[in-house]
Amino acid sequence: MKKMGKQSGVAADYSALHELVKPHIDSFDYMVDKGLEEIFRSIKPVQVFDSFENKKLRIFLDKPEIFKPLRGGSKGMSEALLPFECRQAKISYTAKFTADVLLQYDDGPPIRESINFGQFPIMLRSKLCHFRNASPQKLVSCKEEASEMGGYFILNGLERVVRLLILPKQNYPMSMVRNSFRDRREGYTDKAVVIRCVRGDQSSVTVKLYYLRNGTARLGFWIQGREYLLPVGIVLKALVDTTDREIYANLTCCYSEKYKKGKGIVGTHLIGERAKIILDEVRDLSLFTHIQCLQHIGEHFQAVMQGLENENYSVVADAVLRAYIFVHLDNNYDKFNLLIFMVQKLFSLIDQTSVPDNPDSLQNQDVLLPGHLITIYLKEKLEDWLQKAIKSLEDEINNKNNKFNIRDVNNVKKVIEKGSTQISLAVENMLKTGRLVTQTGLDMQQRAGYTVQAERLNFLRFISFFRSVHRGASFAGLRTTSVRKLLPESWGFLCPVHTPDGEPCGLLNHMTCTCRVASYYDSQGNMRDFLKVRTSILDVLIGVGMTSSLPKLILAGPPVVLPVLLDGRVVGVIPTSEVEKVVAYLRRLKVSTASLIPDDLEVGYVPLSMGGAYPGLYLFTSPSRFIRPVKNISLPPEESQNIELIGPFEQVFMEIKCPDGGDGGTSNDFPATHEEIHPTGMLSVVANLTPWSDHNQSPRNMYQCQMGKQTMAFSSQAIQFRADQKLYHLQTPQSPIVRTSAYTKYSMDEYPTGTNAIVAVLAYTGYDMEDAMILNKSSVERGMCHGQIYQTETIDLSEMGRSSQGKRIFKRNNDDKSLHSLIDSDGLPYIGQMIHPNEPYCSFVNKVTNSKFTSKRKGTEPVYVDYVAVDTKNKDDLEKVNIRFRHPRNPVIGDKFSSRHGQKGVCSQLWPDIDMPFSGITGMRPDLIINPHAFPSRMTIAMLLESVAAKGGSLFGEFMDATPFGENGSKSQSLVDELGEMLKIKGFNYHGVEVLYSGVYGTELSCEIFIGPVYYQRLRHMVSDKYQVRSTGRVDQVTRQPIKGRKVGGGIRFGEMERDAMLAHGAAYLLHDRLHTCSDYHIADVCALCGSILTTSFIQQQKHAAREIGGLPPGRAPKKVICHACQTNRGMETVAMPYVFRYLAAELAAMNIKMSLQLSNATGT
Amino acid sequence: MEGVSYQRFPKIKIREVKDDYMKFELRETDASMANALRRVMIAEVPTIAIDLVEIEVNSSVLNDEFIAHRLGLIPLTSERAMSMRFSRDCDACDGDGQCEFCSVEFHLRAKCLTDQTLDVTSKDLYSSDHTVVPVDFSDSAGYDVPEQRGIIIVKLRRGQELRLRAIARKGIGKDHAKWSPAATVTFMYEPEIHINEDLMETLTSEEKRSWVESSPTKVFEFNHETQQVAVVDAEAYTYDEEVIKKAEAMGKPGLVEIHAKEDSFIFTVETTGAIKASQLVLNAIEVLKQKLDSVRLSEDTVEADDQFGELGAHLRGG
Repeated sequence: MKKMGKQSGVAADYSALHELVKPHIDSFDYMVDKGLEEIFRSIKPVQVFDSFENKKLRIFLDKPEIFKPLRGGSKGMSEALLPFECRQAKISYTAKFTADVLLQYDDGPPIRESINFGQFPIMLRSKLCHFRNASPQKLVSCKEEASEMGGYFILNGLERVVRLLILPKQNYPMSMVRNSFRDRREGYTDKAVVIRCVRGDQSSVTVKLYYLRNGTARLGFWIQGREYLLPVGIVLKALVDTTDREIYANLTCCYSEKYKKGKGIVGTHLIGERAKIILDEVRDLSLFTHIQCLQHIGEHFQAVMQGLENENYSVVADAVLRAYIFVHLDNNYDKFNLLIFMVQKLFSLIDQTSVPDNPDSLQNQDVLLPGHLITIYLKEKLEDWLQKAIKSLEDEINNKNNKFNIRDVNNVKKVIEKGSTQISLAVENMLKTGRLVTQTGLDMQQRAGYTVQAERLNFLRFISFFRSVHRGASFAGLRTTSVRKLLPESWGFLCPVHTPDGEPCGLLNHMTCTCRVASYYDSQGNMRDFLKVRTSILDVLIGVGMTSSLPKLILAGPPVVLPVLLDGRVVGVIPTSEVEKVVAYLRRLKVSTASLIPDDLEVGYVPLSMGGAYPGLYLFTSPSRFIRPVKNISLPPEESQNIELIGPFEQVFMEIKCPDGGDGGTSNDFPATHEEIHPTGMLSVVANLTPWSDHNQSPRNMYQCQMGKQTMAFSSQAIQFRADQKLYHLQTPQSPIVRTSAYTKYSMDEYPTGTNAIVAVLAYTGYDMEDAMILNKSSVERGMCHGQIYQTETIDLSEMGRSSQGKRIFKRNNDDKSLHSLIDSDGLPYIGQMIHPNEPYCSFVNKVTNSKFTSKRKGTEPVYVDYVAVDTKNKDDLEKVNIRFRHPRNPVIGDKFSSRHGQKGVCSQLWPDIDMPFSGITGMRPDLIINPHAFPSRMTIAMLLESVAAKGGSLFGEFMDATPFGENGSKSQSLVDELGEMLKIKGFNYHGVEVLYSGVYGTELSCEIFIGPVYYQRLRHMVSDKYQVRSTGRVDQVTRQPIKGRKVGGGIRFGEMERDAMLAHGAAYLLHDRLHTCSDYHIADVCALCGSILTTSFIQQQKHAAREIGGLPPGRAPKKVICHACQTNRGMETVAMPYVFRYLAAELAAMNIKMSLQLSNATGT
Repeated sequence: MEGVSYQRFPKIKIREVKDDYMKFELRETDASMANALRRVMIAEVPTIAIDLVEIEVNSSVLNDEFIAHRLGLIPLTSERAMSMRFSRDCDACDGDGQCEFCSVEFHLRAKCLTDQTLDVTSKDLYSSDHTVVPVDFSDSAGYDVPEQRGIIIVKLRRGQELRLRAIARKGIGKDHAKWSPAATVTFMYEPEIHINEDLMETLTSEEKRSWVESSPTKVFEFNHETQQVAVVDAEAYTYDEEVIKKAEAMGKPGLVEIHAKEDSFIFTVETTGAIKASQLVLNAIEVLKQKLDSVRLSEDTVEADDQFGELGAHLRGG
């Protein structure tokens, strides 16, 4: 049955909400738990040599620690700093970040010195936040919302979220075709194999393997903003001490003459020739041995490798290989094997035995998480700081004048400490502005746009910030639309409905409600030990028949065996005949709790195909992959719940059926092994709230996702303790009668967004045409859709006018009694006071000069003072004050409303109750009338269903379940029948229509009217914030035309197209009025002799004195104008013209162009 | 239609009267009359409602306007309303509304001193005039719930306080819905139902029953013993034409004929409690009369004739 029953009084469960922000919090926790240590370990120690003292000083870092946020910053006070204080005081939620710096002289014991890195921003509800695992009660007592989920930072009082960003899949060699590769250098083709290698500390280095037209390949990698290209042969030889024969055998292992054309053949006969070319290339450079190759690399890279200037070539080469080539691997044999694999994949791409991977598909993508971004940024900042410290140490040593002694630890520490607090500040600034200030680029595609402000316009908008995934700013400017395409690979991970219309369409996606991100923590919340995980996976694989790759061992290639890659490491090969069994076995181990195999292991089995994707078994355990739960139905059902977490890479090759029925077009040859848990899992949280969205035309659901996020709703429960710039608030919200299961799951009742309005669908009086709607004035008067805007002004006396003349304090000016009605004796307004435009609302006095100031209210409408918050940190005087104003925003004509089905409309008329049509039986009058024409073209059937269902629900006093794709009862009865039957039981028409009588005439309307309750939302676009009107007002200084801008009382541009319309109507007089008379009408004096309008000037007449004595009013003296050029007033004429014309003449004169006017009926000539 | 209006003498037959509910028949008049009565009942019968609120202390969670709005919507007993003056026409106080002829003062003082939330309700409003008090629903409704004491204005937690002075004035629903005395006023045309017995006889009893059941409301009844279909409650008919459609679907058009009587209306009136339902009807008729009087008394000038045409002459006793 569709009924959901009455609402239970059980305390709300917010765990589903917390799950939504988990990727953010988990990644930050990782940074705190492990990331910091990890980067400290990977930062290379720096050293400085003092040639006078002959001492070497090695500096490295250890023991990073971030504390919990405390009040009073670093000054010993131990009181907890709470987020609400940060919001109100406009400060940042930060905590102390310290570490030990170790100073090691020569090879002596290191000396430990603690160093302060400043105040580090803390993510809410992360491990370092005071609210970690806080109960709703505690949150409320700390002036937060009971459902506070965290996941964001508070910086200068603003809540900022790090945007999730799409990155290329880590540690997976991707074959790509891109025209830009061709432009690298002469001889390059557009094909390459690219791998983004990620270290344990999440920093990454992308390596590209380009194919050259002559059959060889080049390995390209970036060092300090420059790409370096090495012949692949040199790298192969430099990695491992090997022979040409071995390289040849390795490269050609995937081809055998036995194979002809068949399934899964990737190698062709060309591969042998290419291998020869690769080897010849190295030989031509006369590099034969491992050592020679290392020397070659070292020689070329010494200049760019910092700190290795004095080392020998092979050390430099080792460093290059370690730091730039396949950084996710630390064993050179593994690197060798991976490079061989990549070359094979590249050749197979060239020979078209496999297709390129699509970099726009989610299959080949990962996600960048906030904690990881901060980690890599912090690493770079620390490295920079160490370099800087070394530089300044060297400067001090070389500076002969001062008595700097390197042996003195305090001396050294003082030099090092310089700028150490800037490190946290750099991170804070990165989060504040979303801009990476970096030299290397951190292997990222973009520099800016990493963070956004999490507006709490309403809860849906707020939650969407955490679920949104951006494709990358660099794609926004792209003219091609292929990146914006909705690909089937993103099924279940990204919501197909919830993407904005217009500019960011398809680039800004939202995760589905079931989508998660793999993290460093397992389901119990324990840190994962990836080393252990990998060894256990290897054990399992070897146990099921994998031949593991060992040094010097040459393995066969597809189609006989499939290579197995575990996190970008070629671990072995598996016979093709066994692989399906192995995959199934691995999946079973994934699901079972007993095994060490993690539940989110991605088993990407790419089967053999005829020129499809390059085959192999790709296993991924790494974090920051998308994952989602599905049911594994191939396992016996008794084994737990059989919920398996799958990733987008493996999903493509899996058979997952959807329980909404049908086989989805799959044939019986491939029986489904998995099943979706519920079809609604493919929708985002916001899209899941649209009732019966499966009955709507799909664009309407997209519109609703947008509109749901701009609804004026119950934005926050802790509104009293917030100081947001602008907050929209609905005064009388209601819980929707018709709701989806997601509504209950995510406790949306905490933040309701609308009103159950009785909606009649009819054309009444014509005021509802073209998406306009009529509101019932009486309903509005009874409180429907009432709301207000809260706006906070912060007055910080320490910031404004940092004058030398003394401090300002809040104080009322007691001389001026007129202020007393507005401002209290403390200089602040009374709470509840109404303040009109241009009235002062707070006053302050300069302590020394005793000069008084007031802040005046701007704007055009009266407001109420809602709340005054003072900063009591400063004991003696108030310095900072937040004053919150309340703008009443009750519905007026011109306000925008919408249902939950993308049906928006503007209120065009407020009819009183008596004029509304009424039902003869119940006396019901609609709250809202919309036009029937809103339906045929838009096909929002769900809105009609909602109306009928809500009518039934309210008659039975129960909430109605409108979950899309819902199982439709057992009786195979259609939804409409079920709903209609409910109405019939209660004596209403089966179809939801009623006979209405005209409110004006009392006569029966000629047809039956569809009427019922529909949940209506009030959108934040309101006329009161938008209307623009002016008669006369300010004009532009230069052109004397009216200025633009609503705030400054400007006009609306009457532009060229408007002009065209006027001309087309022949409304010449109106046009003249608009463009000239009402704009920059000007009467200019023109000299008809020389035709100039610039050379005229007035001559002052001296006769004034005499006239005034005569007691006569000083009549307007006839203006005497002469032309400077002609030195006469003979030809003076007055001509009406736009003032800009005069301006044009002046501008032209400045360029030595004279503009002369010819007057047609001039008298002077 | 018939066009010419002629003087008629409408009749009212009261069927049911409760304090806040009334059902009556209005006969021998036309829709314009019935609708005028309905509109007047909703929008033009005066009541008293709080119109001006001076808030002294408000530390509750609701803002001042919200509380003022809620106070305004509380129905006040308004028997006196007809005899009161509109504050705008009051000569005793220059129209700013603070005299006994046009206004009633209320005080509300509430502070929560315990840990339990305190409900501030309409019962906490103290009136300066004992005839104008918040409507008490507890006895009339029948279901007397102990915790339901009046209409909740706001809830206070420990330490919160609400102190205010409110002035109630006379007003009409046209100005603001809070002055509307009617919760619901509706009328329907009385239906006239004729079953074509001859056709009905051609139906089987099964068909008869399904036909009877096709109406969502119980208009007809199928008597199992006599196998006859009879009209049991004509007024339950909602003009949904379900039965007619059903008859057509059964291939028996004309099985039943239903007409709305053009001159007979059944009114249902529900009040907010401000005045009694019976009083509402009487007051409405009074107001309607006054309105007609004002038209009649408006100078029989050419403009008036232009404005009302034939009706003007009619009103003047034609």
